[in-house]
Amino acid sequence: MRSSPKLRPNGWDALVVLAALALAAGSALAVWSGGRTEAGPGTVVVTVDGQEADRFPLESLLEGPRTYSNNGYTLELAYGLRDAEGPPLDHTPPAGEAGVRAAWADCPTQDCVRTGLITRSGQSIVCLPARIIVQLTGVESEAPGAVDAVVG
Amino acid sequence: MRRFISITLAFALVLSLTACFGPPVDPDTVQESIQVIAMDTPMFISTYGRRSTGAAYASEDLIRALEARLSRTEEDSDISRLNAAGGETVEVGWDTYCLLDQAAFFNAETGGAFNIAIAPVVSAWGFTTDSFQVPSQAELDRLLALTDPRGVSPAQLGDAKFTASLEPGQSVDLGGIAKGYAADKLADLFVEYEVPRAMAQLGGNVLVWGDRPDGTAWRVGVQDPARPDEQNAFVGVLNLKNAFAVTSGGYQRYFEEGGKRYHHIIDPATGYPADSDLTSVTVVAEADPDIPRKNGAMCDAYSTGLFIMGEEEALRFWRSRRQQNRENAFELVLVTEDGRVVVTQGLAEAFTLDEGSGYTLEIVS
Repeated sequence: MRSSPKLRPNGWDALVVLAALALAAGSALAVWSGGRTEAGPGTVVVTVDGQEADRFPLESLLEGPRTYSNNGYTLELAYGLRDAEGPPLDHTPPAGEAGVRAAWADCPTQDCVRTGLITRSGQSIVCLPARIIVQLTGVESEAPGAVDAVVG
Repeated sequence: MRRFISITLAFALVLSLTACFGPPVDPDTVQESIQVIAMDTPMFISTYGRRSTGAAYASEDLIRALEARLSRTEEDSDISRLNAAGGETVEVGWDTYCLLDQAAFFNAETGGAFNIAIAPVVSAWGFTTDSFQVPSQAELDRLLALTDPRGVSPAQLGDAKFTASLEPGQSVDLGGIAKGYAADKLADLFVEYEVPRAMAQLGGNVLVWGDRPDGTAWRVGVQDPARPDEQNAFVGVLNLKNAFAVTSGGYQRYFEEGGKRYHHIIDPATGYPADSDLTSVTVVAEADPDIPRKNGAMCDAYSTGLFIMGEEEALRFWRSRRQQNRENAFELVLVTEDGRVVVTQGLAEAFTLDEGSGYTLEIVS
């Protein structure tokens, strides 16, 4: 039995095959090569009442501080540099050990503000009265002496 | 030709489907993290493995359920009902029963230094309400009479029925043992969920499970009591696998009045903040769910009890227990007021002094 000329493979079919192959190889490669990573200066994760409320790259704080309110209290997160007095003056990522700090809060304990700058993965700022936890993840270079947990 | 095309496309389809299954990652390195505020403290739990997500959420449920039973501030918790019962017997849950029973055991072990019935005295100092004050000696004498731990009576009535009672006027606070007990329960949960590695930080209580994803020991910093508000201010670092570590110190909570500092660890013998020559006590023990008397609660209770005892008695206690009970063996990191870090023999390899901290290291055996 001869097939209809219309069903014979032609140049367009080859193109479709190539496109399917390229798509398959591309999508497989994208995933097999490791997919997305959070490497870089770090990601800030804000948890309010046990629910993740915000997640953003640390550097987006260069555009300005962010405020979070819960349980009647407010705290303001700002970009900071280790051993620098205040925030950097321009919006270019500055050199130095960068991190996030609670610049201001209206809670009575002020523990979050006293925590100061956090710059390493796994470090956190906690405001118990507001039930807000700010954690830094995905900081690319793990500083020597970094710890996984703290007792005390 | 058509067959070739069909096979090629089928192969391409299969290849594209691999994208759905993700990269060939080692399941033991898949991580899930949760953060919760419970038992008046922030808690961070990271679980790894194939069932890491289920384990992390189950961990949170476990902690919330415990808090609902043990909270001193939630009105309908077992502990609130027990404290408000005026000496009557109340029905409690299994965990509350276990904790009251364990607290009695650790009270006896520490010669009374760890005592959950000290709660009325702690309240008189204002540590439960943040309205700090130095109570009068008359008030302390009156309240100390209510701290006899034998007045706390947990009981089991049948398979699944538990009760507890206090003497009239007594109250208990499980804050010095509940987080350690929660860590014990987490260890059980990690076994149930086949978690190969995990790290749980429950306030100052830490449970490290297995090893780090890179195969090395977990690095647990011991906070420098002289720099309590500083991140990365450690007297040293403990390299641990499968272990509980708990620290107690007077620096964690205190107030100042008349130029004197009053911290929150009350000595049941005096009713005053413990006059300890230590600034912090860290207790470390093996995390093994097969040990019947669990080590997480033990570390929590002993860290308070040994802080109250002071250096000499704490080391004597450690030496006396070292030979007796290998399952519940524990090791210590003591930070002294005179600038020493005293580490017991079993942690000599695991502990690294922070050279910049200004402390001198002593290994004792």
